[in-house]
Amino acid sequence: MSYLKPIVAAAAVLLSASAAFAQDQKMHFTICGDDSWAGDVTAKYVAEWESMNPGYVVNIEYVPWGQCQEKATTLAAAGNAPALSYLGSRTLPQLSDAGLIKSFELTQEERDGYAGPVLGTVTYNGKIWGVPRAFSSRAMYYNRDLFTAAGLDPDQPPETWEQFVAAAKAITENTDAFGVGIPANSSDTPMQIFVAMVYSNGGTVLDADGNVAFNSPNAVAAMEMWKEVAQYAQPGVAAYGADEIVPLFAAGQLGMIFDGPWLRDNFPDVNYTTAMFPHGPDGTHSSFLVTDSYAVFTGTGVEEQAESLAKFLTAPQAQLEFDLGAGLVPLRNIAGVEKLIENDITWAPFINVIPTGGPEPVIPDHAGLNDIIVNAVQGVLLGEIEPAEAIAEAALEIEDLR
Amino acid sequence: MSETNQKTDYFPYLLLVPALFITLLIVAWPLAETVRLSFTDASLNPNEEYIGFANYERILSRRFPEVIGRTFLWMSLSVALKLTIGLMGALLLNAAVPGRTLFRILTMPPWIIPIAIGMFIWGWMYNGQFGMISGLMQRIGLADGPLEFLAAKDTAFLATVISDVWIGVPMVAVYLLAAMQSVSTDMYEAAWVDGASRWYRIRRITIPLITPSIVTIGILSAIWTFNSFDAIWILTQGGPRSGTTTMIIDTYKVAIDRFRYGEGAARAVLIVLIMLSFSLAYYMVLRKLSKSGATK
Repeated sequence: MSYLKPIVAAAAVLLSASAAFAQDQKMHFTICGDDSWAGDVTAKYVAEWESMNPGYVVNIEYVPWGQCQEKATTLAAAGNAPALSYLGSRTLPQLSDAGLIKSFELTQEERDGYAGPVLGTVTYNGKIWGVPRAFSSRAMYYNRDLFTAAGLDPDQPPETWEQFVAAAKAITENTDAFGVGIPANSSDTPMQIFVAMVYSNGGTVLDADGNVAFNSPNAVAAMEMWKEVAQYAQPGVAAYGADEIVPLFAAGQLGMIFDGPWLRDNFPDVNYTTAMFPHGPDGTHSSFLVTDSYAVFTGTGVEEQAESLAKFLTAPQAQLEFDLGAGLVPLRNIAGVEKLIENDITWAPFINVIPTGGPEPVIPDHAGLNDIIVNAVQGVLLGEIEPAEAIAEAALEIEDLR
Repeated sequence: MSETNQKTDYFPYLLLVPALFITLLIVAWPLAETVRLSFTDASLNPNEEYIGFANYERILSRRFPEVIGRTFLWMSLSVALKLTIGLMGALLLNAAVPGRTLFRILTMPPWIIPIAIGMFIWGWMYNGQFGMISGLMQRIGLADGPLEFLAAKDTAFLATVISDVWIGVPMVAVYLLAAMQSVSTDMYEAAWVDGASRWYRIRRITIPLITPSIVTIGILSAIWTFNSFDAIWILTQGGPRSGTTTMIIDTYKVAIDRFRYGEGAARAVLIVLIMLSFSLAYYMVLRKLSKSGATK
């Protein structure tokens, strides 16, 4: 009989513990990639949120990029959606149209906390469908030694398209390298870089109301400039995306390239600096702003908690900690960002361009949009179609996507 | 008929039920679902609607007929090259020539190397700045500058065909080698005694006797090549300017990249119909060969 009391007590403890576990509501949280992007920061803030919200347990699942978005949408279509999901913001319009995600209500103060037009990447039909988590802009990397060898001032990167074309020409003609790396294969990069050029000349793809505004003199001028400068690019531009251009720049064979901030530490053997995109006659320095976001799926029963978690993780200080840990362009315009530039000047064009940058076009059929614009760029650079005609055709096709 | 006999009669059919069930589950049901989807506007939106033949009208009135033509050209070129090179390879593997073992070893890499890795290697080989092919051609004076094989529509088309041929040749060669080895050596010895040259023996004995095998592997190869995806997707993603977009690439882009499941399903149904015609041809050839005893 002396054993009975401890056994009963242990059983009671186990029962109460299991009852407590049974009360915990699980929240499935999918994140694309792996935890190398400041996963420790995310884990720390998730644990903090859990302690503030007893009864909810967050199960973080990292999914490789290749399957990540597909997994979230498949789970949602099967009625087993994750509570919260990290997705490329380009997928938000389609998910919103399908009624699979819920919009966020942000106060004016919360909106003001985002740098420049960042929220434009997650706004569709007047509503915000995700809170931005990872952010990047594009800028120019240029080889200072090649600038010097070509008789150019390496402290004066090209500001305008005219200077840009002249610099590319000078490098091609006076060195063994090509003036500029132009991406024009069938990946995402060619659209991003070309549209950044359109933005830099005051043009756009979609206007503020979501109407197609691609067929403009600004876009045609950008295409004409792209065609002209392609003479001084690596031969066979239609075979090159970022993956092929970066090794050429690293090998000192390209004078200028355009890419994201993640390459800043990738060129140990190149004496390089970064600069903003050169601007056209009708525009100012711009860039192509891309975000990944947290989206809250509908029908999970924990939508409110998922929204709360998303906002908690992306609150200014937590977000800055994440950005610095992951080496991303800071999303929030708060104290501490300027230190980044002070410590590393190559951050400057990526951060300073944000207020005048243009968002990744928000359209449900993003892959279709990419195909259309890349097709237009390839057509012009392969000499199959004139710039004005290519832009007009592309605009009609984009209209057809909507 | 006794009760026992009746039970015996049903028993074999009963044994087929599990296999039939699995076949229905993994083949018939997805196929039927694809056909159903092709008549809907299915997308990520759970509320799909039936739209009749609208998807078929839409795809056939656009660039898709061009894509169908390109697919047949791509497949024909690839299969022709696979058969030609495969036949030559089989002859080398079958001949008592020095280095036969080496030839047999050389047949293996396209099988051993995963297709994705093989295509990445081909991608770099086609690169004008770093690639081996362009570098070699410049060194021996065949080109006076870098050649970018994937940068223009026609060269990209040929480059993807060549890479696909690299994947498919070993299968054809081994299949034809097996056929050659089934030809009686007495016939070659008799021809040799009569003074027939090696080329004459190939032309008059080997080729006629393995023709049924050539036809069979030709049709099978056409079926596999028609749906060849990896080579094109990794090398060009269907570009430049859709120059390498075949039916399977186009279907993938529409259904998976753009989430237009209904439109993608209509494309898939067209592919199934074409594949059915190939399968029918294959079945008829097999039947004819079976009747003539050529497969024995």
